[in-house]
Amino acid sequence: MIGLFKNRAPAPLPLGPLEISLMEILWTNGEGNVRDVIDRLGRPLAYTTVMTTLDRLYKKGLLARRKFDRAFIYSAALTREEWEHKRTGDFVAGFPSHELLISCLVEAVGQHDEALLDDLERKIKLKRKELGRKVKP
Amino acid sequence: MMAPYLPRLLCLCLAAFFVIHTAVGLMVALIAPYAVRAAQRMRARRAARFLLALRLLPAALGLLLVAGLCVPSYLLLEQETSAEEVGALCLAAAILGAWILRAAMARSLRAITRSIRHARDWERSGSLSNLSGARQPVCVVDAPAPLLALTGLLRPRLVMSRSVASALSARQLRAALRHEEAHRASHDNLKRLMLMLSPGLLPGWHGFRTLERGWFRFTEWAADDEAVAGNPRRSLSLAAALVRIARLGGTPAPSALSASFLADGRDLSARVDRLLRPAMAAPANSAGPMVGASVAACLAIAGVLVAAALHPATLQSAHRLMEHLIR
Repeated sequence: MIGLFKNRAPAPLPLGPLEISLMEILWTNGEGNVRDVIDRLGRPLAYTTVMTTLDRLYKKGLLARRKFDRAFIYSAALTREEWEHKRTGDFVAGFPSHELLISCLVEAVGQHDEALLDDLERKIKLKRKELGRKVKP
Repeated sequence: MMAPYLPRLLCLCLAAFFVIHTAVGLMVALIAPYAVRAAQRMRARRAARFLLALRLLPAALGLLLVAGLCVPSYLLLEQETSAEEVGALCLAAAILGAWILRAAMARSLRAITRSIRHARDWERSGSLSNLSGARQPVCVVDAPAPLLALTGLLRPRLVMSRSVASALSARQLRAALRHEEAHRASHDNLKRLMLMLSPGLLPGWHGFRTLERGWFRFTEWAADDEAVAGNPRRSLSLAAALVRIARLGGTPAPSALSASFLADGRDLSARVDRLLRPAMAAPANSAGPMVGASVAACLAIAGVLVAAALHPATLQSAHRLMEHLIR
């Protein structure tokens, strides 16, 4: 049973810049054929280049497609969130040392906290000045 | 399963409690996000009371109906004959009822034990000092982590580590102690125990986290409001104390039954922003009428239930319902 479902979710392979652009278009607009995607791309690209890239994304399991009037209509097989989730999972799994990863994350959170505390302290100082001005006529 | 008279009563009580608690609890869990949103438009103390009442409602109603209707109707109308059959559904509901009650009791007992142990340790190792802002002597301890909390249930004590005492200015310290005194005045640690004693919705699914998080948040806000009493200078001192303590790494609560100054720190930004708002609402000093109204409402509900319980028709209906439940 587990084996049946094991291969259904595609393994997220690294994507190139054009592949990411095409995924973004399909996530935003739902579905479309090669021509629709080219129209929304905003830069001149050969029809065959886009067609090959979409086909590659389909083979990677990131796109689904159906035939309509002799052309393929492509749509995203994963939502953006699912894709991000998989990418993060892959990143964590591929990290050599989990301790190092956790310490990096803690450090990043700590830096964020420091920035937040600096910001709050600035607000308090401003408020104190404002209050001081009000007291002095 | 065949069960004699008293075990059958126990089984029925647990099953009835579980059914009532789950039905009311599901409704409460469904409306919880809307309730928290509605609470944001109230004063902090009132919002905290509202959410607490909502959180305690399923357990309170369950206990009230079981004690006020199920038990009297069973004792008065059930014939004390030989053992009778208890259905599988009733048995399953009773087991689930016992489970959620046991989990709540175990959780509360653990927290009480931990709280007592900490209190003893601190009283042994700490020294008492009279500080401005605190109504009772504060226990100052040499804790490795920064600590400022109100601990204990019946006679809560303020505990503070030396690192916190030396990090705060006199004004900040006074504001922080006033905040903790506000927790003492509103018996927040006892309310925490009541929350712990109220069971979760199902085994493995608490179901009331949104309400509880909302309650914790509004309790802190209410204590802030009462500590500053609408005084902008006190607001600034309290806000500065919060940031200073956050820089030390926060004040983790020593046990689930203590009110820590910074709580878990997640709400720090919102608390500081509230304190810096120009028209910080002065605390409502009209708790008297509110408390009076609540007590009157509770007494009225209890009176109606007692009157209903004494009425033979009500008891017969309750008994019929229980007969259905046990099959």
